[in-house]
Amino acid sequence: MKTQSLLLSVIALSFASVAAQAQTVSVMGSTALGPIVKKAAEEFMKSHPGLNIAVSGGGSMTGLNQVAAGGCTIGISDVYATADQEKAGVKNHNIVVQPFTLIAHPGVGVKNVSAQQAEFIFTGKINNWKELGGKDQKIVRVIRPESSGTRAVQKKEVLHDQDFSKDVLIQDSTGAVVTSVSTTPGAVSFVELEHLEKNKARIAGIAYNGVECSNNAVKNGKYPIFSFGHAYINPAKLTDAATRKAAEDFLAFILSKEFQEGTVLKAGYLPVSYVKSMKTQL
Amino acid sequence: MLMLKAMPSTAGDPARDAVPATKMRLSIHSEGSRGLRFLLDRGAHSVFLACALVVVALIVGILVFLSLRGFAAFLPLAGNTGRTLSFAEVFLSTEWAPSSDKFGILSFMAGSLSVTMLALLVAAPSGILTAVFVTLLAPGWMKTLMRQVMDLLVGIPSVVYGIFGLTFLLPLISAKWLKDSPAAGFFAAACILMVMIVPTIVSLSMDAFEALPRTLDEGALALGSTRWQSIWRVLIPAASPRLLTAVVLGMGRAIGEAMAVQMVIGNNPAWLSLMREATDRAPLIRFLFTPAATLTTELVQELPNTAAGSAWNNVLFAMGLLLFLMTMGIILATRRLGQRGAV
Repeated sequence: MKTQSLLLSVIALSFASVAAQAQTVSVMGSTALGPIVKKAAEEFMKSHPGLNIAVSGGGSMTGLNQVAAGGCTIGISDVYATADQEKAGVKNHNIVVQPFTLIAHPGVGVKNVSAQQAEFIFTGKINNWKELGGKDQKIVRVIRPESSGTRAVQKKEVLHDQDFSKDVLIQDSTGAVVTSVSTTPGAVSFVELEHLEKNKARIAGIAYNGVECSNNAVKNGKYPIFSFGHAYINPAKLTDAATRKAAEDFLAFILSKEFQEGTVLKAGYLPVSYVKSMKTQL
Repeated sequence: MLMLKAMPSTAGDPARDAVPATKMRLSIHSEGSRGLRFLLDRGAHSVFLACALVVVALIVGILVFLSLRGFAAFLPLAGNTGRTLSFAEVFLSTEWAPSSDKFGILSFMAGSLSVTMLALLVAAPSGILTAVFVTLLAPGWMKTLMRQVMDLLVGIPSVVYGIFGLTFLLPLISAKWLKDSPAAGFFAAACILMVMIVPTIVSLSMDAFEALPRTLDEGALALGSTRWQSIWRVLIPAASPRLLTAVVLGMGRAIGEAMAVQMVIGNNPAWLSLMREATDRAPLIRFLFTPAATLTTELVQELPNTAAGSAWNNVLFAMGLLLFLMTMGIILATRRLGQRGAV
């Protein structure tokens, strides 16, 4: 009898929890932004029992495609929405700031490049570290694939919209880029700041125009290369008012001062409020 | 050959079929359990049928999905946001710059073929000769050991080979032979692929030699041939259709491999023109060590990051369809080869 009633109560409880968890916000997209959004979801769910926020990957464009088509509630992405997606009603929220830095193989002997030298390195006008005052060593450019958000930032900010040199190595992920740079003599690349900080033993950072990349340098406007992490919602596809409100509340939580200056900073990103000037579209 | 032909007729022999049937009837005791048995049989039958249908439906579904998305690149379909491309500008052009509206995939096709052929060049002879040694010359314990090692090698995930290549092979080649210039390219990719497909080729070649009737070997030796003559003139020719099947299946695995190749090949879509322009090294060295790209590496890099319905995304699906058809062609070819071998 006792076990039976216990069983019954367990069943009743599980029904209750299913009913309570009916509210689900699904988040999809950028694997780079995934961890920080997952942290936000954990904190937000603590203060909102009964709400379930499911964060999954798929890639920046998958996030955008899905949110535009109504396949998920929130799409997270490193890149701006296309004109078509904006026309479909997709709305952007900048949630974090991501600083980027130049990195190189530790043996190249160059610690700083000017903006123009950085441009010439990647467009192929400079081909040897000797020309920059370093070792006599061929420059090996390691970049991301054409569809990558990092490459879009690099092309815009470092190359000023010129084409990359044809003579490049391409690696799929930032992790592979770091490994390639650390094992290839003469290699140079461009990654998020946190990846340099995590791999200081294997790769060297290169200052840009005399300024080393750091959170402070970005904050006080001395270091110009960064991008926004985006979260998109598509109000037109969110017919359920409760889900829509939950999604908007969640985004408001991510943008709250408490989360931005606490968890965001700790995770190696910068709060959006630190960057005063809104950049034009990448 | 006679024995093989006789096999189907004994299988259809009614006298043999009757034995299991009577046994089955003996084990059934009452009317009730016979009814249950009937239901179970029918149930099991429909479960198996459903499984088979699901597999067929999945394959047809994938083909239809890939075809729809792939042909969307060339047809003005409803979901398209980009422009409609012509076959010539996709399949006959080497210029790949999707952001500047150029979608030539010829360099990827050439890349896939080059790296596969390079890998086969070493893997096919060494795989077959390993099988010759293991099945025809080595002692029995070695045969068992080799089988297990080969099965183990087939089971290693490709990303492990890739990491090995990226962190060990590339720096090694670059430091030893290339005076520190980067080693990414066909050579490294073919090395990794070779290690991946040799186990497939060895296993299947071992099967091929084991399937040969012993009388062939014995006959050759009785007629006075040496061990070498028997292997080279009799056994290898006799097994050749199945050996070819082994090689073609290895080729199928090589052409479809994405992850490991992607990590060591350098992924440069402009490799053809880069190779033409750079004249500082001998042509063969340039071919082996210029960062290049294949169909699979490009797919794995770009597909998750392109907008659905764009010309870029559609062309990537067309590349996927091309790979699917190539693999299908390879499988059909092995079927034909296998049939030739059985007769």
